[in-house]
Parts: sequence; structure tokens; C-alpha cells
Amino acid sequence: MKKYLLRRFLQIIPVLFIITFVVFVLVYLAGDPVSLMLPEDASEADREALREALGLNEPFVYQYFHFIGDLITGNFGTSFRYNQEALPLVLERLPATFELAAASMLVAIIIAIPLGIYSAKKRNSFIDLFITGGSVLGKAMPNFWLGIMLILLLAVNYQLFPVSGRGSVMHMVLPAITLGTGIAAEMTRLIRSSMLEILNQDYIRTAKSKGASEMSVVFKHAFRNSLIPVVTIMGLQVSHLVSGALITETVFSWPGLGLLLVQAVNGRDMAVVQAAVFVIAILVIVVNLLTDIVYRVLDPRINYS
Amino acid sequence: MKKTLNYLIVFLLISVIVVSGCSSNTESTGGNDNGKEGSEKTSLVIAQSADITTLDPQNSLSTNGDRVFRNMFSRLFSRDSKMEIQPELVEKYENIDDVTWQFKLKEGVTFHNGDPLTAEDVKFSLERVMNDESLKEYPYFTQIKEVNSIDELTVEIVTDGPMPTLLRLLAKSGADVIPKKYFEEMGLEEFQKNPIGSGPYKYVDWKRDDRVVLEAYNDYFGDKPKWKEVVVRAIPESSTRVGELLTGGVDIATDIPPNEWDRVNGESGISLINGDTTRVMLLMLRHTEGTVTADPKVREAIDLAINEQAIVDSVLKGTAVPVQSRVPEGVLGSNPDLYDSYAYDLEKAKKLLAEAGYKDGLELTFTAPKGRYPLDGEVAQLVASMLGEAGIKVNLQLLESSAFLDVYNSKSNKELIMIGLADGLLDASYSLVHYTKERAAGQTDYYNEEVEKLFHDAGRNLNEDERVKQYQKIQEIVAEERPHIFLFQQGANYGVSDNVQFEPRLDEVINFSDITLK
Repeated sequence: MKKYLLRRFLQIIPVLFIITFVVFVLVYLAGDPVSLMLPEDASEADREALREALGLNEPFVYQYFHFIGDLITGNFGTSFRYNQEALPLVLERLPATFELAAASMLVAIIIAIPLGIYSAKKRNSFIDLFITGGSVLGKAMPNFWLGIMLILLLAVNYQLFPVSGRGSVMHMVLPAITLGTGIAAEMTRLIRSSMLEILNQDYIRTAKSKGASEMSVVFKHAFRNSLIPVVTIMGLQVSHLVSGALITETVFSWPGLGLLLVQAVNGRDMAVVQAAVFVIAILVIVVNLLTDIVYRVLDPRINYS
Repeated sequence: MKKTLNYLIVFLLISVIVVSGCSSNTESTGGNDNGKEGSEKTSLVIAQSADITTLDPQNSLSTNGDRVFRNMFSRLFSRDSKMEIQPELVEKYENIDDVTWQFKLKEGVTFHNGDPLTAEDVKFSLERVMNDESLKEYPYFTQIKEVNSIDELTVEIVTDGPMPTLLRLLAKSGADVIPKKYFEEMGLEEFQKNPIGSGPYKYVDWKRDDRVVLEAYNDYFGDKPKWKEVVVRAIPESSTRVGELLTGGVDIATDIPPNEWDRVNGESGISLINGDTTRVMLLMLRHTEGTVTADPKVREAIDLAINEQAIVDSVLKGTAVPVQSRVPEGVLGSNPDLYDSYAYDLEKAKKLLAEAGYKDGLELTFTAPKGRYPLDGEVAQLVASMLGEAGIKVNLQLLESSAFLDVYNSKSNKELIMIGLADGLLDASYSLVHYTKERAAGQTDYYNEEVEKLFHDAGRNLNEDERVKQYQKIQEIVAEERPHIFLFQQGANYGVSDNVQFEPRLDEVINFSDITLK
């Protein structure tokens, strides 16, 4: 296991190197950031002066090696847009992103686990059809639509929650529901099918025949074994959530990583794009690693050595 | 197994509570006293479509930024609601000779940390913006040659030649006075964490992409600030801005797009208020030899084929004004004959095309942005179909904002390109520079000797009446020769709570103290 972990950590280095190169090339190819920073009226001389002041008139290779040189010393450079160091700009967004990710995952788990299990238990019943249909709907609803509808209904009409912004727990409810329902829909279906498969296994019949209670059979014998695919999906969704839920963040003016990243891409703010992608890559790698560790906890037969 | 699951849920619950607990101090959300009966409302909340990007007033160059900085910092001069220049920090001033100006500052002005504002601070601030090329406001300040502090309250500015726009420049964004001593002690990075100005509101907090919080500076040298606290929120999604307006979360929401107008107008308690901007949507036409638009008859035909009033009425629901000049009313040097007017004569347009040798029609490429200005794509499509009626086949190239800017800035546009241009100085010189040979090169390739001479003479003319006439003459020539065909002056649309009284300004700045409770 230790060897495995070490190997996984060492893999991070080339992955990050490749990611930074690809991002650098893509942002560079996207065009001139100066044209987005000055008004349409600025003359070519004004643009050239700013380009020179920001070091953007240097050739590609020079800019890249300059960037890598700084990166090795932990410096991502200065954001053109904010005129501040890029990494702190990214790191200050993490609490908001984590907060929303955790709340959304919680909403998803609270919805998905009981519904998934119940729907498997009552297979082909009306309730099963209702839950399965509902999960298709949950997955199909676009976040921007659901977010706006929730605002209209629960924030504007009934005024139960704040419309937007970040602050109290109440601010978190609507964005967490918006993000959580999509994940819950996927997880519900997965738990259902995974449970169905397991409930037909011989050992479940054995457990039932030896007189184990219904609850014990479902939760102790079946549910744990159905969790491996669920954890996979959760791992993927957490990676997705920590990399920022752009649309939901925009609808609810939630100052998270996704909002920062998209604005940086639109403004061709290389330093912030690099720092954000770098931090997200590390988060995704860590989440994947944790997922693998959770597999082992769930199923001791899994051996990484 | 249940244990593992329980652990997971408990962990998630704890992390939500811990993280939200850490951030619960952000709950000084504005508008907290909004709508509460019995208590006088003392907090104003404004929602913009984008956040400010910096707390350095000389490196912002955006309307969203200026709305905050105008209330935090002072300038030597300011614009009143009619866009007339008024002294702000200045007690009196005189023009010693054509290039030397002397300004006597008001006594008793203090920065938010209590330090007095002196001539040294003015010198430091102006020298910073005129020397540091990396500042976005730098290009506008290059005509100032030197700034001298004569005594504690007297500043002398020397320009590189007669500069009739100096006072306007000193009222523009970027001319904000920052405290020399504090700035030098703290450095830019630290200054931005706790910026200090001498305006009516002082900085409290900035959460990026969320809100800027300001509070009244009670020792402000001018009229006492009207609001105890002002919160400027960034809410990019327009329907959310309107939602906040409806629930009383914000008092004023800027940039209400046309698809929300009916909703804002239809709800009780809030209203849509339309204002003007200095931005004029226009078509740039190539005069480059070899292009079809080099022929003046073709240019006139294009102008006559477009019904600007119909565009304003149908697409923009009457919230814009058709114009025939880049300099709208309210900007110094505007030509009233060319404001709120347009030329449309489809039959004559067809005739002109026939005379120009394009009886069977002609083909040209029209580049336009989509998503950069309100309803720009719709306007471009309507223009293209109007040109089609006159027999001009248009290859419409609708581009997303940054791809559009690449075409515009690299001057790789073909015959026609549509763009909206604003005037940050509110002076015709800012707009009319486009018709000089140097600026037009590669873009429209327009050249007119008389325009060139008028522009350069006006640029050094300290007699304002004469200067206005020179600029008006340039606009007449341009309207005739059509390097640009003007569509309309763009409007600004605000959603405003019925609790407050708000008048939009042409420069789109919001002076918080101009907003009052009804």
C-alpha cells in the first residue's frame, strides 16, 4: 500500500507538468489579453506599451520558460486582471468551493441512499417507477434552469431563502439543492441497480433463510457490497464539484473557484488560469486517491500492492 | 458498514458546519435593514453585473470600478449631473500661461486615516499615472509634462502644449488622489488590502466576485454622506439581480437586459429606469482602395438603406436614440443637428447602388459581435436584412466577444464592422481622433485634410467656443463622407426599488449620496 501511494504521488509530477504546458499553449493561442484589457478605443501604441509592461511582447518560448522558472519557485506570476499574485487569488476561493461541494454532496446522499435502496426493494412497483422517473428528471434538468426556478419559487415568491450571495447556512441551501439533485439522480439509479444485482445473490438468500431480519439483510449484507460503484461516482462528482460548479456559481453569485476560472479564461489571464488549473489538478488527484483508499475500506479484498 | 456510512455523513455535516461557520462573519450582508418597518433605512445596496477587479483606482478603467472609486477617492475636479466640470478638491485655479495651470487646494481635506490631503499627494498621484506604463489609465495622462507642488496646498501642472481637456482629464477616472505617505509605506499590495482615499465613503471590505462594502466617512470635506453603509454586490446573472431587487435584497440593479424589462416594469415596488450612455453603436466602413465601400455612393447607399429608428423601436424597445455622430448630447463638442436624427431612403439607396455600377447587387462582409453589447447580434442581423432589401448581399460574420476584438484590433475586418464606442473623457476629442490619418490607418483608411487640420487645431485651442465649433464641423464632414455610419446611442437600464430616488447619469457613474430615500 505504501509503495502504491508513493507511486501515485510520483505520478503527480509529470501530470502537472503536462497540464501546465497544455494550458499555457491553449491560453497563448487564444489570443492577446491586452485587447481585452483596454477599451475598444485604445490605439495600437497604447496596447503595445501595455504589452511591453506586462512582458507579453516576448516570444512564446521565452514566455514559457520564464513561466516554468517562476513556477518551480512556487510563483505563478501576477494576474493581469487583478494585478495581484495568482495563487492567493485561487486559494482564497477554496473555502467557498469546498463549502458548496460538501453541502451538495450531503444533499445528494440524503436523497439518493434511501430512495435508491427503497426503489430496489420495491422493484417494479409504482413507487419504484416514480423514483426511477424522478431521477431521470433530476438528471435532465439543467442547473441554470433549476437554479433560477428555485430562486423564483423559494426566494422570490415565498422568501424562505436568500436569493444569492454567500454568508449564512441559509445562503447555501438553494445552490446545494441545485447541484445536489443532479448528483442524487445519478446515485439513486446506481444504488438501485447495484442493490438489485446484489439482492439476487445466493448469500442474500442464505442470510434470509437463516432468519436474518429484513433490515439486517438490506443494510448489513447488501448495501455495503453495493457501494463500490457508488463510491466511484461520488469520487468523480466530488472532483467535478471541487473544480467549481460554474453555472450554479454564476446563477447564485457564489464566489467560488469556477467563477474565478471562467472569468480568467475569458480575460486570458494566464497566471490565474494556470494557478487554478494547478490547484484543481491536485485536488482531483487527491480525491481520486481517497476514492481508491475508500474502496479498500469497503472491500478488504482489493489489494493495491 | 453502517459505521462507515455514518462516518461519511457526519464528516460531511461537520465540514459544512465548520466551513460555513468560518465564513459566517461575511453575513454583514447589505440590505440587512431593508424593508424593516419603523427603522430608518441607512444602508444602500447596489448590484452590478460584474465585480471590480482591483482596488487601485488608477488601474481599473471600468464603469463598474469607477462607481466604487468615485465614492472612495476625490479628484481635483468632478462632473456634475449635467456633465459640467466643477471643482472638487480645488478652491480656485488659474491658467498662468498656455501650458501652466495652478490649482489652490481646499483646506482641511483629510484622507480616511486622518492624514491631511496636500499638494504632495496630488503630485504623487498624477506622476504615478503619467509615468507607470503598466497602469490602464496611463495612456490618457501622457499630455501632462510635469506636476509641481508649490506649497502645501498649491499644485502646478505643466502640459506638453496647450491642453484644453486638462480639467476634464482631472475629473476622469485615474485622476483619483491617493495618499502618498500611506501608499509609500504600505506598497501597492498592502494598499489594495486597505485602500484609503478622501471621498465620502471609506473602504470596509471586498470579497472578490461577491461584494464591496463601504461606510460613511464622517469627516468628509463636502456634504455629509447620505448613507451609513453602501454595499456594491456583483451578481452576474441578470435574473438573479432582478430577483434580489424584487425581494428587497438590493435597491438598484444595473445592466438590466431587454428580456427582463417587462418583468421589472410589471412588478410592484420596483421600476425600470432608462438612462443614456456615451456609447454609440456604429458601422466602420473601409475607404481602402479596391474595396467596394471606397466608393462614396456605396457608402451613402448603405447609410440610406438602414432604418435606425426601426432598429431602436423594434429591437431596443425605444430605449436608444438614433444618431448621426459619434459625439452624443451631453459630451462637449456634440453637434445637435446630428443627434436624434437618421437618414433612411431605400429607393435612393437602390438608385445610388445602380449609379455606382452595382445594379445587380453587390456582396460584402459584415463583422459584428454577439454578446458584447445588449442585443448586438439581433441588431446586426436586422442591419444585414435591411442591406439585403437594398440589394446588398451581406456575409454576416457574428463573433463572440474576444474573437471579435481580435478581428477589430488586428484590423483584419473586411468592408463593414459593427462596434460600440464610448467616451471616457466626455469630450469630442476622445471620439474624433478616429478620423485622423494615423488612427484610421488600416481600420477605415479614412483621410481628409480638413478634418486632420481641424482636429489638430482644436486639440491645442484653449478657446472652448471655437473648439466646439471645430469639432462640430468635423462631425458634419464625417456624416457626409461616412467612414463611420452611426446607428444609435446605447441606453443604460437600471432596475430601481421604489423606496429610493435615483437619476442615471450620462457617464454611468453612481454617486451614492445623490441617491435618496423617497
